[in-house]
Amino acid sequence: MKGYFGEFGGQYVPETLLPALEELEVAFAEACLNKRFQEEFNACMRDYVGRPTPLTHARRLSGHTGLDIWLKREDLNHTGAHKINNAIGQILLARRMGKRRIIAETGAGQHGVATATACALFGLECIVYMGSEDIKRQYINVERMRLLGADVIPVTTGSSTLKDATSEAIRDWVANVDNTYYLLGSAVGPHPYPTMVRHFQSIIGAEARQQILEAKNRLPDAIIACVGGGSNAIGIFSAFLEDPVELIGVEAYGRGNNKNAASIAFGLPGVLHGARSYLLQDKDGQILSTHSIAPGLDYPGVGPEHSWLAYTGRVSYKLVDDTDALAAFSLLTRLEGIMPALESSHAIAYLDKYGQAHKGRTVIVNLSGRGDKDLHTVLGSDL
Amino acid sequence: MISETIKNTPRAIIPYITAGLPSLDKTGEIIKILSRSGAAAIEIGLPFSDPMADGPVIQKASKMAIDAGFSLDGFFCHLNGWCTSTHTPIIVMSYINPVMRRGIYETMDRLKACGVSGLIVPDLPTDPMDIFDISSTIGLDLIRLVAPTTKTDRIRQILDQCMGFVYAVSVKGVTGAREDIPDGLKQQVKSIKSMTDLPVCVGFGVSKKEHVDDILTFADGVIVGSYLIENIIGSPNPTGAVRKAFSRLIE
Ligand SMILES: Cc1ncc(COP(=O)(O)O)c(C=O)c1O
Repeated sequence: MKGYFGEFGGQYVPETLLPALEELEVAFAEACLNKRFQEEFNACMRDYVGRPTPLTHARRLSGHTGLDIWLKREDLNHTGAHKINNAIGQILLARRMGKRRIIAETGAGQHGVATATACALFGLECIVYMGSEDIKRQYINVERMRLLGADVIPVTTGSSTLKDATSEAIRDWVANVDNTYYLLGSAVGPHPYPTMVRHFQSIIGAEARQQILEAKNRLPDAIIACVGGGSNAIGIFSAFLEDPVELIGVEAYGRGNNKNAASIAFGLPGVLHGARSYLLQDKDGQILSTHSIAPGLDYPGVGPEHSWLAYTGRVSYKLVDDTDALAAFSLLTRLEGIMPALESSHAIAYLDKYGQAHKGRTVIVNLSGRGDKDLHTVLGSDL
Repeated sequence: MISETIKNTPRAIIPYITAGLPSLDKTGEIIKILSRSGAAAIEIGLPFSDPMADGPVIQKASKMAIDAGFSLDGFFCHLNGWCTSTHTPIIVMSYINPVMRRGIYETMDRLKACGVSGLIVPDLPTDPMDIFDISSTIGLDLIRLVAPTTKTDRIRQILDQCMGFVYAVSVKGVTGAREDIPDGLKQQVKSIKSMTDLPVCVGFGVSKKEHVDDILTFADGVIVGSYLIENIIGSPNPTGAVRKAFSRLIE
């Protein structure tokens, strides 16, 4: 059925939004076939975002773990994370659709900053919903968004994090659907968002595949990426799904049982924010509150395609907790001179365990973002 | 039969209340009061942690009910008693996740067994065939929403599967009291009515007697939620507050 990955995905939205989703679906399909749109996107990626991002051989980290590690440097993108790929892609689409008011949700603030940046670049109005808890822990990004001209609206309902910011953005969209484009930041939400976000993020995988083939003349043994909603992970996985390459997603295990954000490990299928996917929920179907030290992973759901890839077993999903993510942050900083975002630190942290069982293997880690935004949290920890 | 009841009620007002606000016992009392005060039907909303189609008042009500310990088991314990305490048809509103968590068939079957007449789900999937089939097998009316943005083809498709009454959403937006009723509403209702024999009731934003009077000149009924809930939340005597607030509308 349309917009489904197996049993996951779909469009579970208030009736008011259906025409807007249809309009979006048609506009996206047209844009995909339009050569000029593709050229415009590629030119922005090259001249503004700074793509292709390098694939860096992490020599000292390789020595430390007994693996052959390559880092896909999404941290070197303009604005510091992979989120800009999707933000630019969708802004170009919004322009084609004649929408001038852009709304977005943000957790870590990276998607908010990327959206505010794209709006500044094209002179569009930008409103970003952000949970008040996240505003506290990622205030540097809040200041960046405001400097870029965005209106950052604090959300104080529910757990005051990404889930609630997303609900609030959807409510805004329902009320202002005529003139507003909802720029969703991860591979979640109703169809066509998961497909569209993957499309714009698949540039990560396409580049990484070519780069590793050039460097090693062979495919890697494994790819590792952190999974919040799943956009950086699906972006890099998408180029390797048909290959004999092990794909590993890392979910946030937070402070352990009942205090985490690992929806695939501990969730059951359910509906949140317009799609069916694995969801952290109680026996009554109430959504549970989550915890991760990485705000971008602190979300009770996951994209429908990841739910499907977990269900079929094509991708395996692993757990990394707050403590190990923090340790990985300092490890990468000390060994490679690269400060990863706390989200990306989850993927780095898994290397240790992977290396113990798979010495010598070639692994690409998607370094989804840089850690400047997290200094506040890292310095406040007992590291 | 909800459709008959609404058609036969000259001033058909359907109050919406949140189950478990401020407690399940009080919900039972509120139902009796609304029924005695002349409600055409009563819509009981199940509180959900992430009510995407609701404005601040119902969000707050849902949170208060959940914080006060609302559970589906508790709800089902009371539901049969509520339904038998009144001749007024009871309609349940739930987001889809709690319904799916317990199983669509199981939930609908249980609602029916307790005496509920209809179910409203604000985030049904685009093509809710299973749910539609189950509701007709069980004999529980699946009440569908039509929005101001819904196109004619889609309205026809919805009406084909709709039972009980058509819920015409008055505004582009979430639930919550509004100052005025939107300009295009009368036309919207008229056009839906030209396509169906089902009664058409208007909801979202209705908060004043003038709104009710105005809407009832062209629609078969109105649904009033946030206005009543605001009164329940704001009062030390919720049952008294509901009685007063509702009687202001029904006069
Ligand atoms: C740097 C970084 N990595 C990863 C994520 C997680 O999102 P996703 O799973 O969509 O890649 C975020 C989200 O904010 C992020 O900022």
